[in-house]
Amino acid sequence: MQTTGQSTRLRRTGRGRDAFWLYMSLALALLALEIFGPGFPRQLRGYANDVAAPVLATLAGPIRAAQSGMERIAGVSDIYLENQILRDENGKLRQWREAAQRLIQENEQLRQILKVPQREIAPVATAHVIGVGGGAFERSVLINAGSGDGIAANLPVVDELGLVGRTIEVGYWTTRVLLISDLNSRVPVRLERTGDVAIAVGLNEPFMHLRFLAANSSVQVGDRIITSGHGGLFPPDVPVGQITEIIDDILKVRPLSALGSLDFVRVMDYRPLPPEVKQPIVEPNSAGRPQ
Amino acid sequence: MPASTKRSGVLGFAGFMPVGVSLLLAMIMLLPLGSGVAGYAMPHLVMISCFYWLSSRPLLMPYGACFLLGLLLDLWVGVPLGVNIVSLLLTRLFVLNQLKHYRGKNRGVHWMVFTVMALSLFALSWLIMSVIEGSLLSLNAVFLQWLVTSFFYAPVAFVLGRLRRLML
Repeated sequence: MQTTGQSTRLRRTGRGRDAFWLYMSLALALLALEIFGPGFPRQLRGYANDVAAPVLATLAGPIRAAQSGMERIAGVSDIYLENQILRDENGKLRQWREAAQRLIQENEQLRQILKVPQREIAPVATAHVIGVGGGAFERSVLINAGSGDGIAANLPVVDELGLVGRTIEVGYWTTRVLLISDLNSRVPVRLERTGDVAIAVGLNEPFMHLRFLAANSSVQVGDRIITSGHGGLFPPDVPVGQITEIIDDILKVRPLSALGSLDFVRVMDYRPLPPEVKQPIVEPNSAGRPQ
Repeated sequence: MPASTKRSGVLGFAGFMPVGVSLLLAMIMLLPLGSGVAGYAMPHLVMISCFYWLSSRPLLMPYGACFLLGLLLDLWVGVPLGVNIVSLLLTRLFVLNQLKHYRGKNRGVHWMVFTVMALSLFALSWLIMSVIEGSLLSLNAVFLQWLVTSFFYAPVAFVLGRLRRLML
């Protein structure tokens, strides 16, 4: 009896070991594809997000309600002080509005005189953040708008404060947005005060680094960073961050957008690069040689 | 469900509960919980769930289920395919080989074993990601996620324990 039990256990262990190596081989093949090959198609990843989207949207509802309830309870004690601050701020904002309206008018007149084309970029879609991703290794969020709403890959995404990132995996109902704080993110930027160009590099941390800034640049703590428009992926003049620390050559930048608590974001319809040309630019002559 | 049925291992749909609960936890891992901390250090709830179910009912969490959970997690979280699959397959291998040493011990021992195992798995994931990226990634975020995951093991395992008593 004991021998039968032992042989059954051995058979089970053997089968378990086979299953382990089978699935491990599959996992290693997928990893090899990511390292050496083209990776898993982004389109399929996009559709996998579509599957999770309804559940995420359902689960997010009560969580958001609980969060806003907690915030309300926490805010009641500070309501008097907050009201006072808001009154002061309101007065200042009124003055700013007057100035801004005057400047908009002046700017418009100058544009018309100089025949400068309009720079306002219409949004493709405004979407809700329904998921965060990446764990410890990547920084991305999932939004509830996809190709069905006109979104394509590599479109810039902003919130009310500044640049958030760009679209990478587009499903029909959902899209993954790579945040500017991700390790793979590189944003061509310039200092708003001096106009010096540089690259804002993501580090998978709450802050970014500013690299390739000219050595003679007079950068200061508090300087704002805006997109330069170089490279064609992001439109120019979108706020990106603010210099918070300068230690030797390391320039730390705090993103202006609320990357840790994103709620609604806007996907901009910015496609400055023309679609890839299929036919050769130089027409061959009758002898088959380029002219 | 009568106790005799539970002992005999005939569980019906309840037998899918460990995988179902782990799937739900995978989705909870994706939720935007509204704070910077959540975004940067969400506990690895699926690793906790797999370890718990493998330590208590190993037959209900086979290698195929670990593979599927890892695949879906990789797709949903947006990391290279294989990172979480390898972690969860190794979780099963580890538990099946070491269970005889800590089975029947108190919860503190289980917590300690999980903490040590999670440290090795996070270190391995960091290594795999560094190879894929072609440079050594910062250890801060991984270390923070390991700390948060280890801390959350106790409350999550407590809830899973209640569920197990209720359903299985």
